[in-house]
Amino acid sequence: MGDLTGTKVLVVEDDPDAAETLEIVLKDEGCAVIRAADAQDGLSKPRSEKPDVVLLDIMMPSGTEGFHLVWNLRKDPDEQVRDIPIIVLIAIHGTTRLRFYPDQSDTVYGPGEFLPVQGFLDKPASSEQLKAKIEEVLSQAKTSSP
Amino acid sequence: MATEPAAANDVELEELRDRISWLVRLRWIAVLGVFATVAAAPRLLGVQLDERPLHLVTALLAGYNLVAWIVSRFVPAAAQGAAVSYFANAQIALDLGFLTALVHYSGGAENPFAFYYVFHVVIGSILLSRIATYLQVSLAIVLFSGMALLEATGVISHHHVEGLFAEELYRQPVYLTAVLFCVATTLCLCAFLATSITSRLRRREAEIVQLSTSLKEHADELAAAYDELRQLGVQQTEYLHRAAHHLRSPLASLERMLAVVCEGRTGPVSEKSQEMIERARLRVRQMLDLARDLLVLSRARVSSAVSRRDRVDLAALLHDMAAEFEQQAASASVSLSVSCPSMPVEVQADPEAIAELIDNLVSNAVKYTTPGGRVAVVLERRPGLAEIRVSDTGIGIPAEERDRIFEEFYRAPNAQDSGKDGTGLGLSIVKAIVEAHGGAIGIDGREGEGTAVSVTLPAASRVAPSVPVNRP
Repeated sequence: MGDLTGTKVLVVEDDPDAAETLEIVLKDEGCAVIRAADAQDGLSKPRSEKPDVVLLDIMMPSGTEGFHLVWNLRKDPDEQVRDIPIIVLIAIHGTTRLRFYPDQSDTVYGPGEFLPVQGFLDKPASSEQLKAKIEEVLSQAKTSSP
Repeated sequence: MATEPAAANDVELEELRDRISWLVRLRWIAVLGVFATVAAAPRLLGVQLDERPLHLVTALLAGYNLVAWIVSRFVPAAAQGAAVSYFANAQIALDLGFLTALVHYSGGAENPFAFYYVFHVVIGSILLSRIATYLQVSLAIVLFSGMALLEATGVISHHHVEGLFAEELYRQPVYLTAVLFCVATTLCLCAFLATSITSRLRRREAEIVQLSTSLKEHADELAAAYDELRQLGVQQTEYLHRAAHHLRSPLASLERMLAVVCEGRTGPVSEKSQEMIERARLRVRQMLDLARDLLVLSRARVSSAVSRRDRVDLAALLHDMAAEFEQQAASASVSLSVSCPSMPVEVQADPEAIAELIDNLVSNAVKYTTPGGRVAVVLERRPGLAEIRVSDTGIGIPAEERDRIFEEFYRAPNAQDSGKDGTGLGLSIVKAIVEAHGGAIGIDGREGEGTAVSVTLPAASRVAPSVPVNRP
């Protein structure tokens, strides 16, 4: 198992309890944790903080904010922001093989396309699962970057 | 001449136009026929005809038909029903006039071609209304009788056909009476018969048009209702997704909060506290499983009429899922084998549902098999069917439990005693999915000796290539 010390993680989660538990676990692993409680913050923090990875709760209040956040980050003019790996936290059973459908106003991705994210985690994710997923995503990001 | 239009609506109007074109074509044939007869009769039969007037009338007939042809082809389609009807009536009346002229110039009342008035009555009954037809019949009788009487009384000249009759009959009262009576009654009866037939035909046509309109309306209604149903199905599924989130999200947070305390991350925890919190965590995880399974079950029960149907290749699906199954089995120290044909085995199904079904069966098999045991997944193609068989060497299902295990929330006693968790919904979900796809499920095996579950699904017809199931 690797070491996550010094990794900067942005947690985008509207449920304060869930956010706090994530923060506790991540801090125990030596990560620096920034929190965003809504989609707006979720969009501005990556730009201002340049985290190493984003943990995103996909189903924020309206149901579609999470999706749009992902697509907006991927369209960001700043390349660094575009390349930040995103791990999506979903409460719905991970193996129901859901596809995510954007609403009609979205023109970037077509319906039925998968979200352009690097990983999915089923809530509740154990500390081990969380750690493993972050490590996996970060090592992939290293190997794919030039 | 007609007082009411024969065409009451668009279909009838269209037909009338077609019939008029047909009449014009027929008339060209008549022109040729008359010309040929006039030319051939003297030469073949040796009769003597007044050919000049006959040819003149024929030429006029041809000219009139040319005008009729132009009118019928080039007059805009916006012409009203009444105008078209008058056009038809005018033609019939003119035809009667021309026939009378031709008959007059070739023997008058002595001319057997007087029979030809019948054609016009029949044609009239096809084109015109009932009343108009009778009126035209009256015109025919008037024209013929008038011509015969005027010839007989010397008002107009008689054009005798030498060689046809030995005597001159056209002035004989008995003969005239007989011929006129015959012609008049023939035409009237003919009109009666022909109009009876055509009026029935028109009624049937009108019924058919009405039927087809009503059919189209119903088809439109059906399509709209189906769209609504489909929308409902989509809304239902979306609702289920949202419900799943709203149930599971808080439970997930709850579990994490308990975990974080349990793991000592918020400070020291007494042994008893740890035990209690662990038990609480377990209950929360059970609730999470229950919420998930309930929602999967609800989804499986959304009407199959409105759920998704794609061509799914079961062989490819199993292939994709094999790695995950192997991992599951390895964690439980159970050996797993997956066998499927090298050819595609296609069914018409909701890809997510089928994946869920197979996942459920394999998870069950692995869960209830003790370490060192075996689980085998076999896919087979049979005529018209695809069969998936998942067998294990696990705790088995007692015979007396076979009927109940598909019930919601029901777990067989040996399963409950196994120490393994379960919501009691796994097989309910499998059954719901199987039924939604028109398949069948069977269970074999004995308690303590393992279980074999076989699911058969109708195979998809051999048409297009299938869509691979994507997994996130």
